[in-house]
Amino acid sequence: MKSLERQKRIFIAVSLAVPMILLVGFIMVPAFDLFRMSLTDWDGYSESWNWIWLENYISMMKNENLWLSLKNNAVYFFGHLLFIPIELLFAVLLTSKLRAAKFYKTMVFMPYIINGVAISYAFSYFFSPINGAFDAILGMFHLEALIQNWLSDPKLVNFVLTAVSLWRFSGYHVILFMAALQSLPQDVQEAAQVDGADTWQLFRYIQIPSIMLMVDFVLFDNIRGALQVFDIPYVMTSGGPGYASSTFTLYTIDTAFKYSNFGLASTMAVAIMAMIVIIYLVQNKIIHGLVLRRDRA
Amino acid sequence: MKRSTVTQALKQLVCIGMVLVVLAPIVLTLFAAFKTKADMVNTSPLLLPPMERITMENFQKVLGDKYLLVGFKNTGIILVVSIFFNVIFGTITAFILERFEFRMKKVILALFFLGMLIPSFVTEIARFKIINGLGLYNTLGAPIVIYVASDLMQLYIYRQFISTIPRSLDESALLDGCSYFGLFGRIILPLLAPATATVIIIKAITIINDMYIPYLYMPKNKLRTLTTFLMNFANAQQGSWQKLAAGIIVIMLPTIVIYVFFQKYILAGVAAGAVKE
Repeated sequence: MKSLERQKRIFIAVSLAVPMILLVGFIMVPAFDLFRMSLTDWDGYSESWNWIWLENYISMMKNENLWLSLKNNAVYFFGHLLFIPIELLFAVLLTSKLRAAKFYKTMVFMPYIINGVAISYAFSYFFSPINGAFDAILGMFHLEALIQNWLSDPKLVNFVLTAVSLWRFSGYHVILFMAALQSLPQDVQEAAQVDGADTWQLFRYIQIPSIMLMVDFVLFDNIRGALQVFDIPYVMTSGGPGYASSTFTLYTIDTAFKYSNFGLASTMAVAIMAMIVIIYLVQNKIIHGLVLRRDRA
Repeated sequence: MKRSTVTQALKQLVCIGMVLVVLAPIVLTLFAAFKTKADMVNTSPLLLPPMERITMENFQKVLGDKYLLVGFKNTGIILVVSIFFNVIFGTITAFILERFEFRMKKVILALFFLGMLIPSFVTEIARFKIINGLGLYNTLGAPIVIYVASDLMQLYIYRQFISTIPRSLDESALLDGCSYFGLFGRIILPLLAPATATVIIIKAITIINDMYIPYLYMPKNKLRTLTTFLMNFANAQQGSWQKLAAGIIVIMLPTIVIYVFFQKYILAGVAAGAVKE
């Protein structure tokens, strides 16, 4: 028996060694190194650097373009937040009795698996000011008056990119909601229907409460996703014109690799990590607690 | 009866609208890829050019680019190697975390959980130095190591799947004199095959579509992946949408094909990855 216990220990140690080394070496160490670097003025290549302590944090707080970028992130977040009800409706629709439901399910998820860079270029073409398809669609409905410089008007561009993000990621949430709906026991729904509940009541009183956990996950995914928006603005506008479509992550990456200010960039990275962890904790404690309490009531 | 027909028609209408929105940017890009330079101006962006003027020259230009093959090859190598290690490490880690009690388990679990929470893009600022220090910059090793180490979604999928395998199976195997490695290699690993199919396909799509890691770590021409090939191609075709359109379509195709054939596994895994305890 003792040798089995020893065998077990050897098995665990040997098997976890490499995954743990990778986890610590390539995720934990870099994450902690970000903290250290955020207190320095390192430029990314020099041998020498100085401790400048909180100076980076102060200049980060004073950086207007960074705040503008964060505001752009917020637009993505609210866009995806507003889409949750629509995603839910599609999930209900696609799980209900529907001809060709399988085909629609394939379609709704397709944007999510398509190459992000390729689709960003495709949308650049779609919204291009010269012979652009979107303008042609507006023309088809005689709405030429609405034609704008979709990707170069600083007031508009971030909303257009948010729409691209909605196109790309909403289907993912629809599939998640569908999975949650399908895991509902059928007999409860049938019992409710026998008792005379209509579709809306079924949705409101049975389906919604049971998928609150998934809504919770999608909410967190929205926040994390919105804070990390990168490839859509990077490919379509490089954050421009000016900083009109820049995002927090894009700005951070540019600060490091374009402007060689690794100290300041690390500070921003620490800020993103802090935001994600704080939001996660707040959501787990407060929102989660509220949802569960309401369910019990 | 009448009412349900109306509802069904309404539902169909909404769904068809959704399909149009999904397909519009893709199909219109495809149309552009078939056009000559003149037809980009002369025909509506919403229409194909007349049959006799449909051209293949844009596709020829993309397919003739010598770096496309390089991109396919590099993406292929990165895929095979990183997915292989992802599956091995993912299954064994999930198996141990799900089945065994041991000292420090709580700490290790917390570390893996934290690892999933840490945002990937910005971590590169510090990871860059480590990759550089290991001499992996501008080698295929850089993306491989990062893909194996950093994206941990497979742990969710495997843990969930392992929890459905009865523990009595472990016990009887061990009683029969099977070693722990034998138990894992000969019994658990084969049972995980359906979950592995899901992991392979989802990982493949993530890796093929990733732009940032290869872009950051492998600027060398010879190390282009499918995605960075497209970025270089786009820069070279500045303003010539019809050629870029063909490039977009060619780069989109691999993941669409994978998706169409292996949908079942993808949709199963996507939901499994999200349902946390």
